[in-house]
Amino acid sequence: MFQVNNLCFKYPKNKENTIKNVSFEIKEGEVFGLLGPSGVGKSTTQKILIKLLTNYQGEVLYKNKDLKSYNKQFYQEIGVGFEMPVHFSKLTANENLSFFKKLYKSNANTDELLQQVGLYEDRNKLVNEFSKGMKARLNFVRALINQPKILFLDEPTNGLDPKNARNIKEMIKNFQREGGTVLLTTHLMNDVDELCDRVAFMADGNIAEIDTPKNLKLKHGERKVEVEYKEGKEILKTSFDLDTLSKNDEFTSVVKTKEIVTIHSKETTLDDIFIKVTGVESDE
Amino acid sequence: MSNFLVLFAGELQRMKKYHILGASFVIAFLWIGVLHLTQIENVSNIFPLLLFLDATSMSILMIGVTMFFEKQEGSMKSLLVSPIGKIEYILAKTGANIVSNLITLLLLFSYAKMFKAIDIHLLWLILAVILISFFHSLLGFVLTYYSKDFTQLLMAMMKYTFVFIIPVLLEQIGLITSDWMTKLLYAIPTKASMTLLNASVGTVETWEIILSLLYLLIISIGVFVIVVRKYDEFALKESGV
Repeated sequence: MFQVNNLCFKYPKNKENTIKNVSFEIKEGEVFGLLGPSGVGKSTTQKILIKLLTNYQGEVLYKNKDLKSYNKQFYQEIGVGFEMPVHFSKLTANENLSFFKKLYKSNANTDELLQQVGLYEDRNKLVNEFSKGMKARLNFVRALINQPKILFLDEPTNGLDPKNARNIKEMIKNFQREGGTVLLTTHLMNDVDELCDRVAFMADGNIAEIDTPKNLKLKHGERKVEVEYKEGKEILKTSFDLDTLSKNDEFTSVVKTKEIVTIHSKETTLDDIFIKVTGVESDE
Repeated sequence: MSNFLVLFAGELQRMKKYHILGASFVIAFLWIGVLHLTQIENVSNIFPLLLFLDATSMSILMIGVTMFFEKQEGSMKSLLVSPIGKIEYILAKTGANIVSNLITLLLLFSYAKMFKAIDIHLLWLILAVILISFFHSLLGFVLTYYSKDFTQLLMAMMKYTFVFIIPVLLEQIGLITSDWMTKLLYAIPTKASMTLLNASVGTVETWEIILSLLYLLIISIGVFVIVVRKYDEFALKESGV
């Protein structure tokens, strides 16, 4: 859907490029995660893809056509969910959505969307009476009002309680099941694990790693199995090589003769990969 | 221009909800109060003066207020990723501003017609207010582009008032009489605005009307081009860069 080749971008006031020769692809129907600490160029990349920044070098193709050749009608096809509030605060949720809906040729059923995110009962409240989480959910609905083909989501579950975060994630999965493509930017690695088909880790304006979460875990993880078992009153822990597990007599003996407390394969987490690849804690 | 009407209606709705139209009505009633308290029975000559203040300074201010609300609330970002053209956006804002100025004009005119004597060419006055309000709304865009916050916009507006509005007012009420000063005033757009408003009362020479009309039309087109061109730069800045 998007093909990015040798993308470079420099802000007018900066000395060096914020984006340094980045290439990647977002395939149709996938959820693609763009990850990395603040200031590495994630937002800039997203702004280029949504045509807010145009004076870049390199090539960005959308549906095999130069992104620069698209006019404002490009926005008929995309939905952008910002992290910060983006609504008229002295209008109700319904008034906001009605206004924005009229700008698009295709419209989603906003009552249904409001019900799904749990805001239907509050639809006639002024947005300035909304909590942070309610505003975030309204942002998500705003991104979907034109039945977009591609969704750009920036921290869509930030500030949401677990129940509402779950709802939003389910809606993203449904969007994908119906053929939609998603570019997700987030610091929450649980969301990435749950939603993303492929992820790109950005560091210092470059893409440091790009692959499926599973492949990245295999690449960066240890191929070991860790077993905790009871030995009298004590709990002992030992680890075995995953690749030779079936031939490992000690492992077979422990499993057969001991009372197992826990048994885990030592896959790494995306949090660990984030720190390893970018050198920064993910919750910064 | 497919979304112009949606944006225009949205502007009017927000001007109402954010009490900007309300504030505009308060100003209109203030002018009505001035008309009411004046001892003059025929208000034709002071009528252009009141509309002058409304169509110039209020137009600049109202564009600034609505745009700063959009910046502050982030709704500008939402507009930037909507299928709307910058010319549609600029014209919708300007159009809503003109409507507000025309409401003030009609309120004042209705009062004057009912309670005082007035002898003006209403259609000409409407056209003059549209042109003056259009130009000053565009000026509101330019000042907003270059103002970091609302206070800075107010400061810029104060400077404009001192340099361009007050001298014309002083000339209109007869406090500036020197010939060279009067000639100098022809160089500024507010003098052309005042001349066009005065023309509705019929006290202006034809050459002055033509000159003022051409001047305002040309300068409006020039400022419109600047507003459209600088919009992208402004939008880039407002998108968080």
